[in-house]
Amino acid sequence: MDAIVNDFTLNIATANGTGSQSANLILLDSLFEMGVPVSGKNLFPSNISGLPTWYILRLSENGYQAPGDRTHIQILVNPATWEEDIEALETGSVVIWNSDTKNKTVEREDIVSYPVPMTKMARKINPKLAKLVTNIIYVGVVAELLGIDQKCLEDAVSKQFKGKSSAIELNIQALESGREYCKENLTKSDPFVVEKRERTEKQFFIEGNEAVALGSIYGGCQMLAWYPITPSSSIAEGIIAYIPKLRTNEDGKTNLAVIQAEDELAAAGMVIGAGWAGGRGMTATSGPGISLMQEFIGLAYFAEVPSVFWDVNRVGPSTGLPTRTQQSDIGMLYEGSHGDTQHIVLIPGTVEECFEFGWIAFDCAERFQTPIFGLSDLDLGMNKWACNGFEYPDIPMDRGKVVREKEVFEAFETFGRYLDIDGDGIPYRTLPGSGMDPILYRGTGHNPMGVYSEKPEDYHNLMARLKMKIENSRDLLPEPLTREEADSDIGVIYLGSMENSIQEIDDILLEMGHHVNQCRVRALPFHSKVEEFIRRHKTTIVLEINRDGQLYGILRRELPNDIVTNVHSVAYSDGLPPRARIYANLIDEKLKEVNG
Amino acid sequence: MSERRRERAVKLNVISEPKDSYTGGPSSLCPGCGHDQISNVIITAAWENGVEPHRIAKMSGIGCSSKTPAYYLGQSHGFNTVHGRMPSVTTGAYAINKDLLYLGVSGDGDSASIGIGQLIHAIRRNMNMVYVVENNGVYGLTKGQYSATADVGSKKRKGATNEIQPIDLCALAINLGCTFVARSFSGSRRQLTSILRAAMSHKGFALIDVISPCVTFNNNDESMKSYGYVKDNEVTLHMTDYIPHFDPMEEVEVPEGHFRDITLHDGSTIRLETISEEHDPSDAMAALAALHDAETNKKHVTGLLYFDSSKPSLAEDLDLVETPLLDLDDSEIRPSKESLDALNAEFLS
Repeated sequence: MDAIVNDFTLNIATANGTGSQSANLILLDSLFEMGVPVSGKNLFPSNISGLPTWYILRLSENGYQAPGDRTHIQILVNPATWEEDIEALETGSVVIWNSDTKNKTVEREDIVSYPVPMTKMARKINPKLAKLVTNIIYVGVVAELLGIDQKCLEDAVSKQFKGKSSAIELNIQALESGREYCKENLTKSDPFVVEKRERTEKQFFIEGNEAVALGSIYGGCQMLAWYPITPSSSIAEGIIAYIPKLRTNEDGKTNLAVIQAEDELAAAGMVIGAGWAGGRGMTATSGPGISLMQEFIGLAYFAEVPSVFWDVNRVGPSTGLPTRTQQSDIGMLYEGSHGDTQHIVLIPGTVEECFEFGWIAFDCAERFQTPIFGLSDLDLGMNKWACNGFEYPDIPMDRGKVVREKEVFEAFETFGRYLDIDGDGIPYRTLPGSGMDPILYRGTGHNPMGVYSEKPEDYHNLMARLKMKIENSRDLLPEPLTREEADSDIGVIYLGSMENSIQEIDDILLEMGHHVNQCRVRALPFHSKVEEFIRRHKTTIVLEINRDGQLYGILRRELPNDIVTNVHSVAYSDGLPPRARIYANLIDEKLKEVNG
Repeated sequence: MSERRRERAVKLNVISEPKDSYTGGPSSLCPGCGHDQISNVIITAAWENGVEPHRIAKMSGIGCSSKTPAYYLGQSHGFNTVHGRMPSVTTGAYAINKDLLYLGVSGDGDSASIGIGQLIHAIRRNMNMVYVVENNGVYGLTKGQYSATADVGSKKRKGATNEIQPIDLCALAINLGCTFVARSFSGSRRQLTSILRAAMSHKGFALIDVISPCVTFNNNDESMKSYGYVKDNEVTLHMTDYIPHFDPMEEVEVPEGHFRDITLHDGSTIRLETISEEHDPSDAMAALAALHDAETNKKHVTGLLYFDSSKPSLAEDLDLVETPLLDLDDSEIRPSKESLDALNAEFLS
């Protein structure tokens, strides 16, 4: 039997709230420490305790990060999903299972079965914490079967239970017990092993939400207003956690105000109030929160108030699948609120970009005096991704056209809050408390001087200027990233967390005979380079994780007529992180349909 | 009148500003609207208190009342926000610039219906602002529907008698622990001015519910929020006088009867002169009883109902640096490169 090294998928089936997350992270971290290219995805329910949870660990020499096509090693601890988990396995798969599970066994002949009396072993170590310890026992068994380095494992345990020596001791004891049982009672009869690899660059694991939190802190965020919602809460909690270290003076006073709002409407209002007062305010939410904020978003657009909103997309509509991932808020963000609106949306696809767009968002908000959206998703936001480190902002803060000094103010021949003096659609503003050009900001129609107006020309001119202002932002926003080979005439446009599946999709397409080039859109309104990319290809596929092809819809409407028919949509979503083969197959079908 | 004589005739306040510095544009409300009287009181109170006009932020939601910031304090920035959501915008602005005087004006629709959640939570946080409700029991701009503060048994000009229990914003505020709760009447200029001046000296949330008759839709005799009805049925808790910290002698005569002085956060005083029975504004139960009695007897009780100076305001809760965040240098709000290098190193270890 040939060994299969560093190229397989583990699926760990447990119940929510049993502490399995720490066990799984120890497994992930120890593999990462060994230099094995690995990614982990937590598929969890909307529940505090009891419902089924799966953790998928993908080891891939090619660096693929999407969940693979199939499970190679199944760890079974949860009786609730026992039968369906076993049934889903392909011939030759491995099952490591808790043989103390009542009325449950593994009877399939075509798979490798490793029964382990996990509950009894756990009780022996610590009867009170048996449930928690069970999880660490399977980590020990897996470590022994795959050949995970003991030092890497111990380092991962120390990292997980920072400084809590009793927890570290207990976990190491449980790991050893798992290893011992394996050595004495099981004979390895499967091909899966891990081997150490030299990593070329130093990396660490971090969640996208933590990266957004740090980026916001380095962006000079001064006020965070938030209302808890999965999967965005860890952005706010991340900011709160870093305030003592990064934004607090020696006397214990902070320069970053945090307000837990009564709802998302209030959170949006607070962000707009902060921007109006001249500060950098932000909120973090998910689709349902953005739905509630719509009225305020229109106010910020129309009254031109800098404001930053992060949307960590989950599955909609309505409450949807609150703990699953999707890219379905694109349209809502781009055209948020009633009336004619258009908003700038920044779309990170990596944790490094989560950090970078975290601070860029504030610069954009103040520069363009408008709401800025950051669009992440549950997959990027709540899973851990390998990170090369965060780069310090390379430019000073852009505070936009704010008139702060009397002399500057007086040098204006005519000053009007909404007067387009520079012809770029961006007017100058003064701040409350300054005494300069005191106006009553309003969501009602206004003339260039900021005075209430229902005159047709005032309304028409204002709307045209707002359109121009956002239009002008296109090429100043993060440009798309492309990977192109000269000989290909098929392009794939995609966005956000699909970055983590695109290489595998590309490789599968290559096997199918399709050479494709890639273009990742990183902001809306889309950069002129996106149009250029489309022009360079005979056929362009727009790939996204939703039902309706929302990005495709935006492109179709905004692209010149002569290339619109070259662009086609491949959109699919089932709540799970994108599995490469599903999208590759859909692209293949679409290309056959288009090109015959 | 010669130029010189006019100059001499202009009266200046403690910061040498004429009252004109506090006025606004012409009102577009119905002639005789109670709200215009309140706007005049706001102008007077701000002027007499000697607040720098540009250090006031005028906040409002949507409705007749919320249009009024255009009619006073023309030198102040303002924000006419969205319906019922002025408290949150004010809270965000306050976090950035806690040194401004936030003056919110709202209506009964704006505060008791669509915005009741935000009002409640601003009170909970003891947000440092003056919150004036111009309460007339009806929606004006949409042409006369009852609001949630319409009294039981009250009948507006058109339509049926209201039988639905009203929301008493003062009782609600007292129950929530609001630190300054008063009710007044747009026709009681003297009382409203002293209460508003005191509210401006208060640190924390000051709610003033002002009955302000709608002359177009709700000023008929059967309406319990008409001028005539309120005049005939007002129960005044006490006479109120405001004594500013900068001029303790200002036009206030020491009353002959019983009185109670309350010291406000900026050192000013509100003097409550007993009329028949003494009201203790630190006694929440007494305040609630007064409101309950008035409701039972179909009366309107006015005066400073409740006051508490002991609670921390939002400023203390946020634990912010002394300088308003607005005035911090960019280098103070972006942590150093060294700190990020250290974080990266820590993540790698």
